[in-house]
Amino acid sequence: MSDRKIGVYICHCGGNISDYVDVKKVREAVQGEPGVVVAKTAMFTCSDATQQEMVQDIREQNLDGLVVASCSPKLHLFTFREVARRAGLNPYQYTQVNIREQCSWTHTDDKPGATEKAIRLIRGGIARTALTEPLEPIKIDTVPKVLIVGAGIAGLRAAVGLSDLSISVILVEKSTAPGGRVAGLGKMYPHGKNGREIISQLVDEVKKRKNITLFTGAELVGKSGSIGNFTVKIEVGGKKVETVEASVGSIIVATGFEDYQPAAGEFGYGIDGVVTLAEYKAMLDNSGGKPALGGREIKSVVYVYCVGSRQQTGDNPNKYCSRYCCNAAVHAAIESAEADPKIRQFHLFRDMRTYGKFEALYTEARDKGSVFIRYSDAEPPEIQKDAGGRLKVTVKDLLTFGEEIVIPADLVVLVTGMVPRSNNALVDVLKLPVGRDKFFNEIHPKLRPVETVVDGVFICGTCQGPKNSAESVASALSAVTQSASILKKGYVELEPLIAMIDPDKCKICDVCTGACPYSAIEKGQHRGKEVAVVNEAVCKGCGGCAPVCPANAINLKGFTDDQMESMIDAMLKEIV
Amino acid sequence: MNYDILIVGSGIGGMESALKLGDMGYKVLVVEKEPSVGGKMILLSKVFPTLDCASCISTPKMAATTHHPNIDVMIYSEVEQIKRGKNGKFTAKVRKKPTFVNSAACTGCRQCEMNCNVAVPDQYNSDMVARRAAYIAFPQAVPKKAVIEREGTSPCSYTCPAGIKAHGYVALARVGKYKEAFDLILETTPVIGSLGRACYAPCEGECTRGSLEGPLPIRRIKRFIADTHYRENPEPQRRFPETVGKKVAVVGSGPAGLTAALHLARQGYQVKIFEAAEQAGGMLRLAIPAYRLPKDVVDRDIKNVTALGVEIETGSRVENPAALKEQGFDAVFVATGTPVARSLQVDGENLDGVMNALEFLSKINLGQKIDLTGKTVVVVGGGNVAIDSARVAVRLGAQKVIVQYRRSREEMPAHHWEIEGAEKEGVEFRYLSAPLKFIGDGARVIAVKAIQMELGKPDAGGRRKPVPVKGSEHQIAADMVITAVGLGPDTRSFKAELELNKNGTIMVNQDTLQTSVPYVFAGGDVVTGPSMIVNAAGQGRKAAFFIDRFLKGEELAGAGYNYRLPPVDQQKVLARQKSYRKLEPVAATEHLKRGVRDFSEVEAPLSEEDVWYSTGRCLDCGVCSECSQCIATCPANAIDMTMQEERVEVEACAVIVSTGFKLFDASLKTQYGYGKYKNVISGMQMDRLLAPTRPYNTVLRPGDGKVPDNIAFVLCTGSRDCTVDNPICSRVCCMYSVKQNQLIMGALPLADVTVYYIDVRAFSKGYEEFYQQAGAMGANFVKGRVAKVEEKEDGNLVLYYEDIDNGGKLSQAEHDLVVLSVGLLPNAEVFNLFSGVKLEADDFSYVKEINEDINPAQTSIDGVFVAGTASGAKDIPDSILHAGAAAAQAAAYVERTRMSK
Repeated sequence: MSDRKIGVYICHCGGNISDYVDVKKVREAVQGEPGVVVAKTAMFTCSDATQQEMVQDIREQNLDGLVVASCSPKLHLFTFREVARRAGLNPYQYTQVNIREQCSWTHTDDKPGATEKAIRLIRGGIARTALTEPLEPIKIDTVPKVLIVGAGIAGLRAAVGLSDLSISVILVEKSTAPGGRVAGLGKMYPHGKNGREIISQLVDEVKKRKNITLFTGAELVGKSGSIGNFTVKIEVGGKKVETVEASVGSIIVATGFEDYQPAAGEFGYGIDGVVTLAEYKAMLDNSGGKPALGGREIKSVVYVYCVGSRQQTGDNPNKYCSRYCCNAAVHAAIESAEADPKIRQFHLFRDMRTYGKFEALYTEARDKGSVFIRYSDAEPPEIQKDAGGRLKVTVKDLLTFGEEIVIPADLVVLVTGMVPRSNNALVDVLKLPVGRDKFFNEIHPKLRPVETVVDGVFICGTCQGPKNSAESVASALSAVTQSASILKKGYVELEPLIAMIDPDKCKICDVCTGACPYSAIEKGQHRGKEVAVVNEAVCKGCGGCAPVCPANAINLKGFTDDQMESMIDAMLKEIV
Repeated sequence: MNYDILIVGSGIGGMESALKLGDMGYKVLVVEKEPSVGGKMILLSKVFPTLDCASCISTPKMAATTHHPNIDVMIYSEVEQIKRGKNGKFTAKVRKKPTFVNSAACTGCRQCEMNCNVAVPDQYNSDMVARRAAYIAFPQAVPKKAVIEREGTSPCSYTCPAGIKAHGYVALARVGKYKEAFDLILETTPVIGSLGRACYAPCEGECTRGSLEGPLPIRRIKRFIADTHYRENPEPQRRFPETVGKKVAVVGSGPAGLTAALHLARQGYQVKIFEAAEQAGGMLRLAIPAYRLPKDVVDRDIKNVTALGVEIETGSRVENPAALKEQGFDAVFVATGTPVARSLQVDGENLDGVMNALEFLSKINLGQKIDLTGKTVVVVGGGNVAIDSARVAVRLGAQKVIVQYRRSREEMPAHHWEIEGAEKEGVEFRYLSAPLKFIGDGARVIAVKAIQMELGKPDAGGRRKPVPVKGSEHQIAADMVITAVGLGPDTRSFKAELELNKNGTIMVNQDTLQTSVPYVFAGGDVVTGPSMIVNAAGQGRKAAFFIDRFLKGEELAGAGYNYRLPPVDQQKVLARQKSYRKLEPVAATEHLKRGVRDFSEVEAPLSEEDVWYSTGRCLDCGVCSECSQCIATCPANAIDMTMQEERVEVEACAVIVSTGFKLFDASLKTQYGYGKYKNVISGMQMDRLLAPTRPYNTVLRPGDGKVPDNIAFVLCTGSRDCTVDNPICSRVCCMYSVKQNQLIMGALPLADVTVYYIDVRAFSKGYEEFYQQAGAMGANFVKGRVAKVEEKEDGNLVLYYEDIDNGGKLSQAEHDLVVLSVGLLPNAEVFNLFSGVKLEADDFSYVKEINEDINPAQTSIDGVFVAGTASGAKDIPDSILHAGAAAAQAAAYVERTRMSK
C-alpha cells in the first residue's frame, strides 16, 4: 500500500465528459486506489469554486499528490499546477489525466467503453502521482533584448513597441532596405493612408532609437539556448559577410508573405493586359490612379476574385481565404473610379468578403459604378483575346439567372491572394511549426495567438496568416506584449521535467547525443570520469534519449521508468 | 487607490489586456459590471474554427485575472465617470453595486439560490429559462459568489405601515411554503389572522398588477397563510428566548401592544401586558364583529405572543404608567388605544336604549346576549364602527336597522365593501340626515328627532359641510339608538406624569415614540388617534425597537429604524415585459344574506388553488421579495440585506476600455417574427442550447419542446442592413452559424441544416476550411436573403427567399426551427464614461481608433486605449490580438509618462 495522500478530482466538463463517461462510476472505481484519500467529482474542475475546494482539501488533508481528470493538459496543466502551488503542494506532484480529448470526445459511440477507459487512465495517473517527487523549475535570468526577424511593417512596429518598453531590439532584414511590402504601397484601405509614408515614418523612428539595432541584408543563421536567454547568430551581408552573435530573451518572427503568382494561362495570366492585383495596385500608385496600358487609357477593368485562394482542386490547392483581397480590390476600384468616374469596372466574385466595417468600401464601390457579378466555382470565368486583340471575359452571372455575359475589357485584374513565404532556412534554424496552410502556426488562436510551440519564439504579421497592414500591426504589438510580459519580469521558469543522467552508470557512448534533437547533451566530468551531461536550459524533456541509452543511465524527471511501469500496471488492472 | 492601468470591462479582451499588463508588472484594476468576469464569451458553446469549448478558453483566464497578484478586480461595479486630473492621471468614480452577499463569507454553495422563491428570466441563458433573484450568474462564474438582485422595495411591502414584507409572503405562498410565509409575517407582527381578515390592505392599493387587471388579493393570501398555519398548529410552539434580565410593561393588549410585546420578548425582555378589559386583544376583541373577525382567530393571534412567555393580566387598569417603574419595570409601553366614545351632544343621549357603538359591540363580543328581535335600531354615524353596529344589530334579530348619516354616501368614511355588505343584509341608509334629539317615552328611547341636511361649502378638511334644511324636522321611530360618531383616548389619569396633546393623545417624539418620561414610550391609537390595525402594529414594532435601544443604553436618534430600499418604479416594472397575459383577479366572495341571524364569517377564504393562481399573478416588482429564505438557509451567514452601494475613487495613469458589444435585437426585424413565433430564436439562444451548461440538456425548439430536424439559419439578421441602421457586416455571424451547423450535426445527426446567406464570410485563418467542412458534413448553403418568415399552425415556419443559385426564383421552404444569426452592435455606454474629454466615435458609433494603421487601440483621448469589440465587431482571435496591442500601447504610454517625470 502507498503511504501517499492523493486527491483525485474528476470533471464533468459541463457535459463534455459526463455525457459519455459515467463520472460517478469512475469515482467509485478509483477512490480505493492506493494512496487516494480524496476522490470527488465536479461540474467544472477548472472553476474558481472547485479550485478553492481543492486548495482547501490539500491543506486540510495534507495531500501530497493531486490528480485532475479533465481535459487536455494543453489547456489546464498550468491551471492545476497553480492550484497545487497555492495550496502549498509542489506543482510537480500534480498529474493531469485527459479524459476528454482522449476519451469522452473520441468514444461518443461507446459510453461503457469510455467509462472503462477513463478509469484506466485515471488509475495510471494516480500511479504516476504516487511516485512523484517535489521538483523545482529551472530559473533563468532573461536578457531584456528581442531579436525581430523581418523589418516589414510588423517587424518595424514591434521594434518601436519594444523600445517604448525599454527592451532592446535587434532587427534583422533580409533585403537591403527595411519596409517590406507596405513600403511599396501608395494609398491603403480603409483610411487612405500612404504605405510609403507610414514606413518612412517608422524607419525614421527605428533609426532614432538607441536601443534598436537594424541589420539589413542580414539573415538569422543560428539559434541556441532557450527562452529568456537565446544565443543567436546573424550573418550580415555586404562587401564582406560578417557574423554577429548576440544574446536575446525572445525572438519575434515577422517575415511576411508572398503574392500568389498565377501559373501561365491561369485565368489568362500571361496574356497582355492580364495582371495581378499587386501589379494593378502598383500601376495605380505610379500613375495617380489613372494607369495606362501600352500608352492606351484604360476604360474598362474586369476583376476576377479568389485567384489563388479558396482553391478546391488541383495539386496542393490553397484552400484558405486570403482575407485582404476583397477589400483591397474594391479599394482599388474606388481609387480608379475617383480618378476616372467614367471607368467601367466589373467584379467577378464568389463571395464578397468585405468583412466588418469594410462593407462600407464595398457599398462605396457599387455607388461609384462598379458592377458585381457572381460566378460559380464550378464554372470560372474565361479570359481570352478576341479577334480584334481585345480582352474579353466570359462569365455566367449567378445573380442574373446564370446568364452568360461577355465583357470586353482593357485590363483584367486577377485578385490574387497571399501565400506563405518559403523560409526553409529559417524554419530549420528556429524549428518553426508550419500549419496546414503552410503559414507559421500559433499554439492556439485564442489562448496563445502569437506564441509558437518553441518557447520564446513568437510570430506576428502575415507570416502567421493573411492580414492587412493594420491587422499586422495589431498582431505585432500583441507579440510585443507577449515578449514584454516575459522579459519585464526578469526571469523565466523552465520545466524541470528533463532528462537526468546517472553519471555512475553512464559509459559515454554518444548514442544519447545523437538522439537529442536539441543538442542538449554535452560531455562533462564526474569524479574524474568523462560522462554525458544534460544542459538543463536546453533540454526539452522530450525523452528521446532515455530509451536508447544502452547503460540505462537516463531517466526523465517526472516520467521515470518506475513511474511508467507502475502506470502500465495500474492501467491494466482488472476493472471490477 | 492608485493603479497604472484601469480596464473597463472584463470580457475576453479586457482579461487579455489585464493579464499581459499584470505579467509585465503593472498594477491593473479591472472593473466589471456583471457579477462575474468573463464577458459574453463564457456564455458561448464552442468557438470557431478550432471548436474549443468557450468555457475551457475562458475559465483559466477568468481565474488567472482574479488571482493575479498585480490585478485587482471589482465585479458588479460600474465606472460612472472618468476625468483627467491636474497631474495628468485619470480619476475614475466607481460605483460598487450592493450584492447583498458578503463575498468574503460566501462559499458559492448555491443554497440561497435553491431556496429563493422569485424566478426571473435568466439573461445568461438568453432569457430561455428562469433564474432566481438570489443567484450565481452561471456555473463557471468567477468569483463564484452569489448576488441578490434587488431593484428596490416592492410597492406592496413598501407601503405597509407595519413593515410587513407582503411581497415576501406572497412569494413564499406561491411555492407552497406557508409555514415560512407565516413566520415571515410573524417577524413583524403577531396579529396575522386578524390582519388577514380586517386589514384595509393598503398593499393591494399599491399592487402593480392593479394597473393591469386588478391587484392581488394580498390580504386574503395572508388569511390563507394564517388559517393554514393555525389549522396545523392550534397551539404555538412555546419558546422562551434567552432572557436579558430586564422587564418591560405594556399597557394595552391591542395590535400595538401585542406587536411591541412580541418584539420585546424576542429580544429577551420579560414582558407583561396590562389589559383593562376582561379579555385581551383591544379593538380586535372588542370592536370588530365576529362575522368579520372570529374571536378564536384573535385568541390564536394572541397566543403567538404568550408563547414567548409574555404574561397578560386582564381586568387590570393602569392609571399611572410611569409608576410601573416602581413595580420593577425598566420601561413601559403605553398602547391603550381610543376606548372612549365621543358623545353626540344632543338631548336624550342618556335615555335607556341609547348606547354608544363601542359599548354595544364590546358587549356582544364579550358574550353578552342582547335580543333585538322585532326591534327598530337607528345607528348614528358613517364610519366602519357604525356599519359594524348596524350589521350586528341585524344579526341580533332587529326588524329594521337604519344607518343615519349626515352627509351623502360618497362622503361616508366606512369602506365601500362594508356599506355594500350592510345593504345586502338589509340595512337601510338615511343619508343627509342628522339627529336633533332622542325622544324618550319616560326613560326609554322611542324615536330620533331628525333633520334633513344638504351639503354646503367644503370645511377646513375639504369635505362639504352638511347644513340643515329648514323645516325638514321629522321623527324616526326607534327602539334602540346606537351612536358611532368617533372614539378618543382615555388618558385623563396619565396627565400627572405624561405630557399630552390637546386632543388627549400622548405626546411623543415622532421618531422614537418616547414620551416626556424617558422610560415610557407610547404608540398606537393613543398617540395617533383612531387608526387602522396595521398602523397600530407598525407603531408597536417601532416602539419595541426604540425601547430595546433605550434599555441597551444606545442612542435613539438616527438609529436607522426600518432601513429599506426605495420603492421600485412601477412603470419600469411594467416595461420589463412587452405584453402581459390577462389574468383576472379572483372574485371577492362574501356570504351575504338579508336578515342574517348568525355571526359566522361572511368572507369566504381563498382556496389553495386560488392562492396559487393569485400569487402567480405577482410581478415580483422589487425582484427580490425579501422573503428571507436565503438568510435562513445560508450556511455561511453571508446574506446582508442592509448592504448599501459604495462609491470609490481610483486613480490610473492609463485607461483601456473593453466594453464589448451589444447584440442586435432580432425583434426589430419584424418580418422574421422573433418574439412572436416561438420557434424563431436568435443565434445567441442557439449557442446557449448547444453550450455545455445548456438549459435543456439538448437542442429543442422552445414552442413545444420538440427536437428539431430541419433547422434554418438566416444570416445577416441586423447586419448589412440599412433598414435597421446597421449597414456594416458583423464579422462573426457567418462563422458562428457555421460552427453551430457543425455542432448541431454532431448533436442531432439526423437534422437538416440550411443556411440562407448573402456571402459566407469565412475570411480568417482556418475559417474557409471550417466552412467547407460544414458543407462536407451536410450543411446546405443557399444564397438568398430571406424576405419573411411565417408561422404554421404546428409551429413550423415557412421562409420566403430568393433562390439565387437556382435561377433567382422566389421560393418557399418549411423548417421547424429558425435561427436568426443576429449581428453585433456598438455598446454606446462607453461614450458616457468620460467627462471633460471626448471619446470620439467612428462612423459606425464604435470607439474610434484615430490612427489604426500604425497605432491600433489608440483613441481620441491621449492615454485612453480601446481593446476588443468596443472598437468594432471582431471574432475572438482578433479581439485577443487587439487586446494585446492595447496592452502594448497602454504600457508604452505608462512608460512615457514615467520618463517625462
